[in-house]
Order: sequence, then structure tokens, then C-alpha cells
Amino acid sequence: MPEPECEDRRHVGRPVVRGDAIAKVTGQFEYGVDVSKPGMLHAKVRRSEIQHGLLRRVDVTAAKAMNGVHAVLTGGDIGDFRASRFVRDEPILAKDRVRYHGEPVAVVAAETPAIAEAAAALIEVDYEPLPAVNSVTDALAPDAPLLHPDWESYWAAPVVRRSGNILNHASLQRGDVDGIFAGAARVFEDTYVTQMVHQASLEGRVAIAEVEPGGGVHVTSSHQYPFGLRQDLSDILHLPLESIRVSATGHGGGFGGKLYAGVEPYCVLLAQHTGRPVRLAYTREEELIATSPRMGATVHLRTAVDASGRLLARDATVHYDCGAYSESSPVVVGIALLALPGPYRWEALRVNSYAVYTNKANCGSFRGPGAPQVVFAGESQLDQIAGELGVDPLRLRLDNAVRDGDLGPTGQVLTGVSLTETLHRAADAIGWTEKAGANRGKGLACCWWTTTGGPSSAEIRVGGDGNVVLVTGATEIGTGAVEAGLVQICADELGVSPDVISVRSADTATTPYDMGAQGSRTLFQAGNAVISAAADLRSQLLAATAADPGTATSLAGLARLTGKELVGTGTYTAPPTAFDESTVAGAALGAFNDPSFSTHACEVQVDPDTGEVRLERYVAVQDVGRVINPTYAAGQISGGAVQGIGQALFEDLHYHDGRVANPNFTDYKLPTIADVPPVETILVEQPSIHGPYGAKGVGEPSIIPAAPAIANAVADAVGVRVRELPITGERVMRAQ
Amino acid sequence: MNLTPLRFTVNGKPCAVEVPPGSYLLDVLRDNLGQLEVKEACDEGECGACTVLVDGEPVDSCIYFCAQAQRRAVTTAAGLAEGDTLHPVQQAFVDHGAVQCGFCTPGFVVAAAALLDENPSPTEAEVRTALAGNLCRCTGYTNIVRAVVAAGERATEDPIA
Repeated sequence: MPEPECEDRRHVGRPVVRGDAIAKVTGQFEYGVDVSKPGMLHAKVRRSEIQHGLLRRVDVTAAKAMNGVHAVLTGGDIGDFRASRFVRDEPILAKDRVRYHGEPVAVVAAETPAIAEAAAALIEVDYEPLPAVNSVTDALAPDAPLLHPDWESYWAAPVVRRSGNILNHASLQRGDVDGIFAGAARVFEDTYVTQMVHQASLEGRVAIAEVEPGGGVHVTSSHQYPFGLRQDLSDILHLPLESIRVSATGHGGGFGGKLYAGVEPYCVLLAQHTGRPVRLAYTREEELIATSPRMGATVHLRTAVDASGRLLARDATVHYDCGAYSESSPVVVGIALLALPGPYRWEALRVNSYAVYTNKANCGSFRGPGAPQVVFAGESQLDQIAGELGVDPLRLRLDNAVRDGDLGPTGQVLTGVSLTETLHRAADAIGWTEKAGANRGKGLACCWWTTTGGPSSAEIRVGGDGNVVLVTGATEIGTGAVEAGLVQICADELGVSPDVISVRSADTATTPYDMGAQGSRTLFQAGNAVISAAADLRSQLLAATAADPGTATSLAGLARLTGKELVGTGTYTAPPTAFDESTVAGAALGAFNDPSFSTHACEVQVDPDTGEVRLERYVAVQDVGRVINPTYAAGQISGGAVQGIGQALFEDLHYHDGRVANPNFTDYKLPTIADVPPVETILVEQPSIHGPYGAKGVGEPSIIPAAPAIANAVADAVGVRVRELPITGERVMRAQ
Repeated sequence: MNLTPLRFTVNGKPCAVEVPPGSYLLDVLRDNLGQLEVKEACDEGECGACTVLVDGEPVDSCIYFCAQAQRRAVTTAAGLAEGDTLHPVQQAFVDHGAVQCGFCTPGFVVAAAALLDENPSPTEAEVRTALAGNLCRCTGYTNIVRAVVAAGERATEDPIA
């Protein structure tokens, strides 16, 4: 084979094709749903038919007697197995009560999926109904029933501040908020409401567990964070960490929905009981009624400004409707403290953000968790302020935009700030100064966002034939961060072609630790780990060359000479971002690391008779720090923007009579190719301090500004301010 | 249970199955014939992930009775390529970054191939209308549209393709 060292060294920044592309277009790529194991049984969850009540009797006699049924487990059959990571409030099978329609009550393992389903339906459950808590208002009423009467006995992470139906209270306080409001020229006060929306990854949750000969458990799952899942299974099922292996399969989408234990604990328990591999896959209906969507929120927002439009202070109260159990909600509500103020200069800030229990499916993480709710409020109100003061909304944002060296909401020193450039680029692209036609309008909105930290690791193995294996615990969730981005970085760092690099990833037994595909972190953190591993390899090469000059001029040459595989290892953990810890409480995240800045702009047409909003153009400008792969960076931004458009205009996971009324893709309306215009993506490059080559996290921000950009365009078109999502024709007409 | 004997071809290969009446083509393709490239995501004909061609026409195989395929030709994403040469639509999906998680891709590429058979050089608007039955949650569709339009142009330039 040709010496790979002769290849072009410059692959970063170019549209290198991802390694899994051909397998995906030909259908040969293996997803979680495609995996099977010999002798595998199939599981089915029996779910609560009521929203809230005491469990009086769970009778599994008939189910157990069915031919082909191997195990039936109820809450009474298993230990005190509770999720989740921040508050252990969720029995994985209901013990004495159920708290949402769809909550798992029992689980069956059988020879076929059809037998498992039939047996689950034969389980008899008697309930004693309790009054349901359907909303944040219900939950916080003085006489509200406690969803968790024993909440004080639950283990919780120290950062979480709980009280009755309040699962966490995160707060930010900086400066003399009340004094500034008292003296401000103008004060604006509004309430905004956002809905529950679902990740709706096309592949649902699916896993297989098998007990290995030595007693260990091997879990194969379409999961975003195999090392986190391993820890979850250890914590929930009280198993030694080292007895669990998690292998991530190919992914049919995650978007934050597959970061916590979901189907896997049931698979493990049933595999332990039956001695057979057990598979559990959720149906689309189960996905929509009983997994972890984005919580709806009510945002009460007061903003003080001076007469010229200078922003002075913000005072916000946010209630997130988090459902019956915690999952990631305690952390998500803390993100509001940073997202809600937006990338603007403030003299004083106060944010009180509450995670509230209700009798709904527990919510969790969805791309940009916590942010779209509060940014919809903040960026909508900025346009109202601009309108009232007679200031151009673009001008208002430019005049108040943060710059390098400014302080963020919690006192972090901002670097790599590019907000004004994104504003100018977006305004130019949408033709901001050109007036739109009748019933047409333009709007824009901004956000800033974090690049989540946490450790990543990589090994690079070079064989004597010059072939390279990149081994990383990072997970290819679909973005291309692993299959293209890490490969490009590895290629440039070693001076080889991407064609000689193969990737092995995301297995707790065979790849080194990674904190998972979450928080826009993979390419940034794992990319730095790859750079570190490559440096280790280069130092080995230099040492060998120094010891024996002239013998080894390349890594492959060195491997050939020494007759053994060379292994470089690297780990990376981003340094924590300093902030003023006295300003926040109840928040796991106190600062945005190596933040990115975005502006979206759009043009809409509003039907004057129906209020229907038609998106005519959409521009997404995002500072990615440094482009690693322009095709996939733009592709992610387009995808996030359209998810944001979905929340803005179409999607609504709607509860009626205590249950999800639209648990299918007919009634839960995702944006189709016919509903949206092309996303015109503009990549801005303002390097970060710590990212590989200056890259910043890319994945999440593009979902965040979509709803307010569209709401602002609707207001521009027809003079109507819609403060509740989604912006349906009916809401537009009623607001007139 | 009564089983119905059915014969059809999958990607040119003759297949004979005996399945319960009312079996859906998707389940037979995946469970009986091992055609795992055909994906299920909604099970009610809304998302198009399970799209296959039956005598060249795209159908949602999750709501299409297997019996309807009797003596007909079924084409999946695995049957579009000619040996190692990808179908122009597949190549365009690779070249234009139209693939992210890829779970919708097998359905998209066969639906797009059917469109190009009927309309060799579709406009962007025609692509958006024709593929409205296929959901993608990753890409925002921008690169999918770009890819299909480009594949159309390629097909027009090269009459053999």
C-alpha cells in the first residue's frame, strides 16, 4: 500500500465524507433494532392505565400461565431499584402507586413479541385513584396533593434544592435588581408558555441484555452515553460497575432522549431471571407516552430598560412542568439561569427556575435542554421592547450585545464572542432593511450556548502496514462527529489519509471512557483526546528516532521496524470555567464553557384568513469556532433549526384527560420536507480557547432561536404577538 | 393457523414465503427474509422509513399487505446499487451530506429513486412535494433536497445512469 505519510495533511476544514455513509445509503448499517442474539426472549412492559393512584393488586397469574412466557416481574418482585442520577425518586416498576398514565407496572419476557404483548395485557391491576395534578398551578396550590409523600427520604445530589412538589429550585441573583427596576424608565412584563415536545428519534429505545458465563451482564443498546448507562445500571440495580458491559449499537437518533437508563434495566432483570438474552424495544406509542420529552414551561418575565433601549435588569420566574419523576429535570432547570439572560449586557439579574412534579410522563433532556423555553420568552420580549421604544430590533440587540471581556450572567469572563458578527451576517442574508410584502414579515433571534465539558479519551493504534485504528468511547449519534470529525483530526495529527483510519467506539469493555454524546461536546472533547493521543504517538516516534537516528521516519515505518503495534493514548478534560459561585444556587452548571453564539433570521407569510404561518426563508448563522467539516456542521445546524421550527409551528405533545392525546406520528406533527424551506446556513469562525483548532460545540444551539425568530416575524407580518407555542393559525387569529 | 404461500422477488431474487393472512410486507421482509435495511419507525404509514418499491412504485411496507406483492418485484435500498456502483441517488446522498443518523435513509433513497424514474430532473419544489411522506429528524431536509436535485441533474446529463 502507498505510504500514508505522503497524503495531503490538511483534512480538517474540508468536506471529508463520513466513514459510515455508504453503509447507510445501502441499508447495510446496523442499528439497535437490527441486533439479535441466539435464544433471545422478547420483553413487554405493562403500563398504568390511570394517571395517579395507589396500586391495590397486581395479579400476574394468567400472564405467567401463558405458553411461551418465561418471566413476569412486578414492583413487588424486585428490590428497591430506583432511578435517576440526581434524585432517586423513580421505582423502575411501580411499588405502591402510579404517578402517570403509562408508568411501568410489570414487565414480561416471552418467546415472541406477540406472546409478551398478550401476556402483558392479561395482567390484572386494581387501582385506587387519587386526585391528579395536571399542571404547575395545580402542583403549587396550597392544598395540592404531594406526588411524592416520602420525598424527603429520597437520595438526592447535594446541589438539588427540593420542597414537596418542587423537584429543584435553581436561582440566580446578581446586582440590585429591585433598585434598578424602581428607577428604570420602562419596565416590560409578560408571560410566555411553551409546550411539551418530543425528541422523536426515528429509532425508538431498544436494548438486549444477556448474562455472561462469569455472571457479568452485557447490554447492547442504542444509547448516547454507554458509560453513563453502565453507571445507571450499577446504581439502579445495585450491581458492581465492573460486572456490567455496555456496547452502543448504531444510532437511529437520540437528541438527548437516550442519555439515561430506559429499557435497559428491564432487560437486565429479565435476563437474570430467565438466563436468556432479553430484548426490549418500545413502540412509537410507548416512546411518546412514557419517555423523556422536553418539558413545557411558563416564563414570567420582567425587563427594565432605559429610554434609549439599553437593557438594565431582568427578573424572571420560570416553572418547568417536569412530570412525575426527575430524570435530568433538576439539572435542566438550572440551565435557564444562563440561557434566559441571553448574550446581552445586564446590570442586574434575578432568575428563579423551578422544576415541578405533575402527573405526566417524566421529562428529560432534548437538544439544548431548558433553553428554547426561556429564549422564546426573552427574545420575543426584546422585539416587544424594540417595538414600544421605536428601535430597530437588530439595533437593540447590537447595542446590548456582549463583547469579548464582558461578564456572563454568573460572572464568567466571556471570550471568543461573535454575537455581533452573527447578527450582521443574519441580517444581511435575510435582507433585513428591505421591507417584506403584505402579510409577510421578518424576524430574528439570538442565543448563546455551552460546549459541555467532561472527560474524553482516545487510543490510536498504528500497525506495521500503516493502517490506523482510532479507539474512542465517544458515540457516533449521527452528526458525523466521530465518523468524520475525529477521523479528520486523527488524519491531520498523524499526517495520514482518512482512508487508512478505521474507528472503534462506544463500548465500555473495549474503548476508553467518554462522557457521551451530549451537550454539543463530542468533537470538542474527544477531538482534544485524539490530538493528545497523536502527540503521544509522535513522542514515541521521536524517542525511537533519537535512539537510532535515520531508522524510523514515520509511524508506520516505526511500527514496521519494531514489529509491533504502536499505541498512543490521550485523555482530555476541559478546564472548568470560572464564575461567581455566590450568584447561583441549585444549578449543576454555573457557566457556559467555550460558548458559541448564534443568530437566526426568517421570513414568514401569514394567511390573513386562517392565521396559518408559512415559512418562506430561514437563515441560521452560528459561530462554530473553527469548522472541522463544513458539510456536517451545516447539516447539524439545519437539522436543529428544523426541530426548532417544529416546536415553533407544529409539535405539541398534548395531554388531555390525563394522558397523551396524540401518541403517534399522525397526530404528533413533525415538520416534513414540504413544510420547511431550505435552511441557509452561515458558519462564523471565532475560535474558542480550548477547542481542537479552536472549534466550539456545534450540535445543540440551532434548535434554540427558531421559535422566537418565527414569532418575531409573525409580529412583523401582521402585528400580532403570540406568546404561546406552537404558533398555530388559531393562536394567530385569537391574538388579533 | 392458515398460512398463505406467496411468491415475489426482492431485489431481483425470487422469494417464496408462507405467512399468516394479513401479514404486512415490512414484517415479512425483516423477520422472514432478513432484509433489515427496511426500517420501521411509526408502524402506521406516516414516516416512510419502511418505504420499498413494488414494481417501481413506492409503498409504505408497514401498512402494505404482503399478499399485495404476490408475483411482483420488491426493491429495497439494498437493491438500488449495481454491484459496487451506487445508484445516483445514493451517491448524491453520500456526496451532499444527506445522511446523518441514516435511519430514514433507506426509505428516502428508494422514494427518491422512484421520483427520478418518473421525473428525471425534478425541481426543488417537486422534490419537496414528492418526498413529503418521508420523515427525517436529523437533517432538516436541506441536504436531502440538494442531493435529490443533484442526482436528477446527473441522471439527465448521463442517459445511461
